[in-house]
Amino acid sequence: MSGRHPFTLLAFAAALPALAWTLPAPWGAAGTFAVALLLCLTPGSRPGLGILRTAILTAAPFWLFLFLLHDRATALAIALRLSTMIASFVWLVAILPPARLVEALVAAGYSVHVAFLFAATLSAVPVMRARAQRIVDAQRCRGLATRGGPLTRLRALRALALPLVLSALHEVDERALALETRGLSAGARRTALAPPPDSTAERVVRWTLVAACVAGVVGRVLWRV
Amino acid sequence: MSIRLLALIPVAVAINLALSAAVDAVNLPLFLDTTGTILATALAGPVVGVATGALTSLTNSFRNPTYLPFVAVQVLVALYAWFAARAGLFRNLKVAIPAGLGLGILAAAASTPISYKIFGCSTSGGVTLMTLLGRKLGMSDIVACAFSAFVSDFGDKAVTFGLVATVLHALPKRTAARFPLALRSIGAA
Repeated sequence: MSGRHPFTLLAFAAALPALAWTLPAPWGAAGTFAVALLLCLTPGSRPGLGILRTAILTAAPFWLFLFLLHDRATALAIALRLSTMIASFVWLVAILPPARLVEALVAAGYSVHVAFLFAATLSAVPVMRARAQRIVDAQRCRGLATRGGPLTRLRALRALALPLVLSALHEVDERALALETRGLSAGARRTALAPPPDSTAERVVRWTLVAACVAGVVGRVLWRV
Repeated sequence: MSIRLLALIPVAVAINLALSAAVDAVNLPLFLDTTGTILATALAGPVVGVATGALTSLTNSFRNPTYLPFVAVQVLVALYAWFAARAGLFRNLKVAIPAGLGLGILAAAASTPISYKIFGCSTSGGVTLMTLLGRKLGMSDIVACAFSAFVSDFGDKAVTFGLVATVLHALPKRTAARFPLALRSIGAA
């Protein structure tokens, strides 16, 4: 599956949860969950069993919470739907590198701004998390008290959050300058360096998934009436 | 949209997702996961704020897919922050914190139906415990769900608004003036 076009992978990851919520519970959701688990076993960027384990470990707490809160039938229906969503997304993240999705967006003619937002966010988050941890360590070295009453903790929070947010805002100008230098403001259409290959068969699969979701919604509305 | 405002969006999303390290260090029951959304709106208006909120939910959902349905709450937060910024509600903490409490009520009201309908009120261990407590106090399912959402959002949004007001006042005037709404947010324009 990892060789498929990113839009096809996205279509699977979006259609399975949509069908889980529209098809009658619990069998509809059980079916979509089984398909999502099978997808997790398909070869991707990580060994299949690793993806399956991540999906199950992420979904497990919800099963516990739901059986604590609801009767068995309701808990089972919601848990199967949630597990479908979790397994589909865990599979998508494992199988689809963000850079490949950005290439597909650019090749499909989406604005380069959209591609930039997606790629820049995914690269900025780990950098900012690492900086946040460095600030926490540095402030602790300087003797910042992070324990005590709520007011002491709130004061400590201010001392930790303020340098992080201010340094991030000062970075905006540097980033804007770098983007200007690379001609992002020109608005010209970019050419993808290595556009992912697409085929008629994959387009048919994508539209079939869309049609199935629409049919699921219509069926659900009519069934309720 | 100008390039500076475009560059602000990924930075604001990263702020939303990185502040959890600071919260963990002080061990307070807060999320602060809308700080970047509110800050981006207060600096640059609703389009940047809504984009930040939507992108935050999307990026967070790669780590935990259960965040994705709450994108509507992020959009609501951005719109509320826009009204607050236009009204200059970030001018001092005495005004900003009550405005944040107001957002806490709205955010809880918006997240309750999502949490109830999609997750059966099981979004996290803390929320489940609060819902169970609500049930023990004799509340119905939906009221117990609203109770847990209210408890988790009320204080969080007040602290977030206070933090954003502090950041806006700490920004050098020259930097603030580069963003269209920054000075108005703190009542300086």
